[in-house]
Amino acid sequence: MTANPSPSASADGSEPPKDSSMTQVEEKSVSSKEILSVIDSLKKQVAANRSLFVKERLEENRKKLGDITSHLYKSSNERRSSWIGDTDSASDLLTKRQKDAIGMQNGIDLSNGDKDGYSYQEPSTAVLMGSSIPVKNAVRPIKLTEVKKLPPYTTWIFLDRNQRMTEDQSVVGRRRIYYDQNGGEALICSDSEEEIIEDDEEKKDFVGSEDFILRMTIKEVGLSDRALESLAQCLSRSPAEVKARYETLMKEEKDVGASENRDTEAQNWNSFLEKDLEAALDSFDNLFCRRCLVFDCRLHGCSQDLIFPADKQNPWNHPDEEKAPCGLHCYRLALKSERNDTVRSPMNPDDKSNSSSDGIAAQISSSKKSAGPSARRKAKSSQSESASSNARNLSESSDSEIRPEHEESSPIPQLSPSKNKIAGKSGISKRNSKRVAERVLICMRKRQKKMAASESDSLVSGCVSPTDMKLRSNPRKQNEDATPSSHKDVKSSNIGRSRRKDWPLKGVQGEVPSSETINDLALTSSNDCLRREEFVDENLGKEELSDDKSWKAVEKGLFEKGLEIFGRNSCLIARNLLNGLKTCWEVFQYMTGSDNKLAYHAADGGLSLLEGCSKYDLNGAMGNNEVRRRSRFLRRRGRVRRLKYTWKSTAYHSIRKRITERKDQPCRQYNPCSCQTACGKQCSCLLNGTCCEKYCGCPKSCKNRFRGCHCAKSQCRSRQCPCFAADRECDPDVCRNCWVSCGDGTGSLGVPPQRGDNYECRNMKLLLKQQQRVLLGRSDVSGWGAFLKNNVGKHEYLGEYTGELISHREADKRGKIYDRENSSFLFNLNDQFVLDAYRKGDKLKFANHSPEPNCYAKVIMVAGDHRVGIFAKERINAGEELFYDYRYEPDRAPAWARKPEASGSKKEDGAPSSGRAKKLA
Amino acid sequence: MAKTPIGLEPVIGSLTSSKKREYRVTNRLQEGKRPLYAVVFNFIDSRYFNVFATVGGNRVTVYQCLEGGVIAVLQSYVDEDKDESFYTVSWACNVDGTPFVVAGGINGIIRVIDASNEKIHKSFVGHGDSVNEIRTQPLKPSLIVSASKDESVRLWNVHTGICILIFAGAGGHRNEVLSVDFHPSDIYRIASCGMDNTVKIWSMKEFWTYVEKSFTWTDLPSKFPTKYVQFPVFLASIHSNYVDCNRWLGDFILSKSVDNEIVLWEPKMKEQSPGEGTVDILQKYPVPECDIWFIKFSYDFHYNSVAIGNREGKIFVWEVQSSPPVLIARLSHAQSKSPIRQTAMSFDGSTILSCCEDGTIWRWDAVPAN
Repeated sequence: MTANPSPSASADGSEPPKDSSMTQVEEKSVSSKEILSVIDSLKKQVAANRSLFVKERLEENRKKLGDITSHLYKSSNERRSSWIGDTDSASDLLTKRQKDAIGMQNGIDLSNGDKDGYSYQEPSTAVLMGSSIPVKNAVRPIKLTEVKKLPPYTTWIFLDRNQRMTEDQSVVGRRRIYYDQNGGEALICSDSEEEIIEDDEEKKDFVGSEDFILRMTIKEVGLSDRALESLAQCLSRSPAEVKARYETLMKEEKDVGASENRDTEAQNWNSFLEKDLEAALDSFDNLFCRRCLVFDCRLHGCSQDLIFPADKQNPWNHPDEEKAPCGLHCYRLALKSERNDTVRSPMNPDDKSNSSSDGIAAQISSSKKSAGPSARRKAKSSQSESASSNARNLSESSDSEIRPEHEESSPIPQLSPSKNKIAGKSGISKRNSKRVAERVLICMRKRQKKMAASESDSLVSGCVSPTDMKLRSNPRKQNEDATPSSHKDVKSSNIGRSRRKDWPLKGVQGEVPSSETINDLALTSSNDCLRREEFVDENLGKEELSDDKSWKAVEKGLFEKGLEIFGRNSCLIARNLLNGLKTCWEVFQYMTGSDNKLAYHAADGGLSLLEGCSKYDLNGAMGNNEVRRRSRFLRRRGRVRRLKYTWKSTAYHSIRKRITERKDQPCRQYNPCSCQTACGKQCSCLLNGTCCEKYCGCPKSCKNRFRGCHCAKSQCRSRQCPCFAADRECDPDVCRNCWVSCGDGTGSLGVPPQRGDNYECRNMKLLLKQQQRVLLGRSDVSGWGAFLKNNVGKHEYLGEYTGELISHREADKRGKIYDRENSSFLFNLNDQFVLDAYRKGDKLKFANHSPEPNCYAKVIMVAGDHRVGIFAKERINAGEELFYDYRYEPDRAPAWARKPEASGSKKEDGAPSSGRAKKLA
Repeated sequence: MAKTPIGLEPVIGSLTSSKKREYRVTNRLQEGKRPLYAVVFNFIDSRYFNVFATVGGNRVTVYQCLEGGVIAVLQSYVDEDKDESFYTVSWACNVDGTPFVVAGGINGIIRVIDASNEKIHKSFVGHGDSVNEIRTQPLKPSLIVSASKDESVRLWNVHTGICILIFAGAGGHRNEVLSVDFHPSDIYRIASCGMDNTVKIWSMKEFWTYVEKSFTWTDLPSKFPTKYVQFPVFLASIHSNYVDCNRWLGDFILSKSVDNEIVLWEPKMKEQSPGEGTVDILQKYPVPECDIWFIKFSYDFHYNSVAIGNREGKIFVWEVQSSPPVLIARLSHAQSKSPIRQTAMSFDGSTILSCCEDGTIWRWDAVPAN
């Protein structure tokens, strides 16, 4: 508290600051008392508030409790009255004894008789006690027949498959007090004192009252170091913490002031769409287990490292769907009408307005015609004719769009033979489309004819989503192909988006008056529709939104994913990933748009699009070729590899070594490596001494891969099978003949015969859960035991020993506790994990130890995970108890488990072992 | 425990006795030589408000409090297994109101005794180790809940003999469960505590159909689809040692460890994320020399006062709902030296019974104020 000038102030050297610092310090020393008093008074205030608060809370609670107890009292009285109502009191011995006692007391009071003597005369009734004779001698007790108690166990949860321990289950770093039943002493089972302290030093949040003191103090005495220090002392925190908190408080205050005006109406309805795909996929990446193919996998946990296989899958494509429009808004259909427009505009620029109005007229007339079923027939016939005029073309194209709705109303598509012929021609049109870039103007008409025919044809057979039906039956909507889409969206009550969607189309079609008018028409009609459906159209202003902006981040993200999955196929992308968000046409536009990276202008917009589309067609073809070539290449390599492949070469030397050394050395935990090329020396699997598995990132040709077996006769049951020899189960994904078929395996489900169909692999029992029925019962030896329900043969798989996967450190810790309770369910799994079946496991955990067991346990690698299988060592009959050798580590076996001569030589014979008793494979 | 931040300090009661009421020893019984672990009044049937039961060794005894400090023995039951040592007893009843005495102990078998016929009604075998406490649902007294050394809490229907729910598993207790209690009004809620130093609040709301099903079950009880409740709705680490008794006080909880005090606290749950929440410690009731485990306290019927014994045979009676807490009385007797395992307060709190390690039962009666 002495006013020493601070070093920084004296270092300044100059007079005035020194003076000021001195005065400041003096001020502080004076004010520090003030500060303390301020803090004290505030503290008192807080304390008073607190006690008031507690009082109020208790008062509230008391009122509630009053109601509760009066209710309970009522029900206790009801019980009395209902009882008296329907039974004679003689049958109720408790009531009888009660009355006897009262009567007796009255009698005693009258006669002043000897209580004890009285009670001995009538031992069967109530006895009054007032003396020191033991009660147990006073009355004849009623015997409770003995019931056999259960062998002790801790309540456990059945586990189908192993689980990794969750953080809060850990006993490491936690204090556990062990109460010794006999000695009555409490022991703390933690490794060291630090562990205990650890828990207490968690960071605390500031509570409201602390904030209050903080704010008020600083408000009164100002923000000075002294104030902060004394505050810190008062709140038992560091001054820096206090200061930081004060700053955040001030900021919050400001924020609150500012945000009060702001309308904080949450726009939750599309919050998902506002996020980008990465964020949306975050939970997927974190929660989905790529090894078990389930969410929230308890074995491999959340937030696994994402490993992407180096062998990329080819983009998915469906041969049948190629070149057939996917729906009403397929880019193929849209492209065609597009071409009409764009072609027309350069050809006869003067005629624009005329032709467009013609077009509209034609469209309208055609749509009017289409109202009746006859129109359909007409349209069909007009298709077969060769179209010669633009107007005719337009009417055709509009017809082709009208068609689906007719198909909707008459669900059975009827393909006339002539149409099949036309469909055949579609191949030509496709070829044409490649050349379109050079020869747009020349070939336009011919090509268009074919396109129109083929596409309208395919539309007939194409499917249209039924939701469109109602909307499209309105003739107005057939004016322009954009309108149905807007209506569709209107129906899904998303006005803003539908508006924006109109516009990309418009931009694409260019600001040519014709399309403008069409669009306007479309708009008015859709506006009408909007009003009719009682939506308020407030989004007209948003119409200026550009193409790109209308794509939300998440939509773009989905599009990118779609490209990865489906390749450049807008139909599939739109249908599978952007369903309800974007149409195929929009996806296509976006795709070509992002390809060209050209901001197309009104005049050449259509052309560039056309180029894009032709380019797309070329690309598509090339892509397909590439894919085909690559897959062929892969196939060839596969064959070569298979020729080289024999069972002798499947397992590598490192594994062989490990098999022979198995007894001394625990297996290694497998973690998939993320190598993108064939694994080199840096491969984590190689360094760790494990094989690469199907979950690794490396390509299938990786030298470190375990290549499965090729067994044909052995049923994979002997060491002839490389999988069996390596203590692995066969994997249908890897082994050649080990196949899992549906049903009875005879292919009766219509599945064509597969390789290995007649081969029955017997080395997949854990994977397929082909286990024996195990029963739990009282052991003949001690405690609980596991029994077999059916007869089994030698080496038969009985079941899996499941449990929590815990670290060795955790196991050491738990082992200490279990040793005290003299029961341990720990099982060494591999170099990283120990299985603990204490709280979670299956019935096999109750199988007892025996030096001459009838079962054996084996750690087996199943699809990258180590699991423990229990197998019959010999033939076991139904109802026999199961035993296996726990294989205690020699120095860790409890006394009773040791062989007689071994335990005799030990000094601490009979005493519980200090080490951990662990079962070993 | 970490230091309580300013502004959230509990109100601590003063140990100077207010002498609001005076109690005098009116009777002392020696039941046997084995320690008595539990004593409990019957609060569920108003006919038997003056009837209480005690357990100790392999014996369950039913008494009646009469006027003038007289205690009458009504019934006595002895388990044929001499190694049985009952730890807990509770009153329950059949759906038709037949009074049951339910006791459990070291064998882990719950004995349901039909007191009106003086014979065993049912024995519940299922717990893997000793039963440390049994409590009865006050609104549905056919439901009992048991806390066991096997780290589980189980809900039973004494009427049909069915184990309805098991509260254990992934989120369950990590050591013996020592105490459990039903919420007085929220029928779905129970609180349990034990040797893992935590108090856990469980909800059976989602499983209530099973509870209802248990009343109409006609098949074998073993065929009932018993469900596991693996996750509590709330977890509180208030104590740093064994928590050996917890009781609801309305929506608050009164719990004690071996720290010479009873703590009153409020669980503040977060609606969105079950299992999480904070604890607001409201009050503390000091109880000197109460540092051994397995000492349990009790309320009167109206939750006005709480009585607890200590290691030296003294009893502290606190006015539990006043703030700050008031010590109503401190009861001591020259001959009462043995640890008091449990106390029982009569309906109106005028009689306090205590059962001791040395096998004695003490009766204290309030001296009428005049």
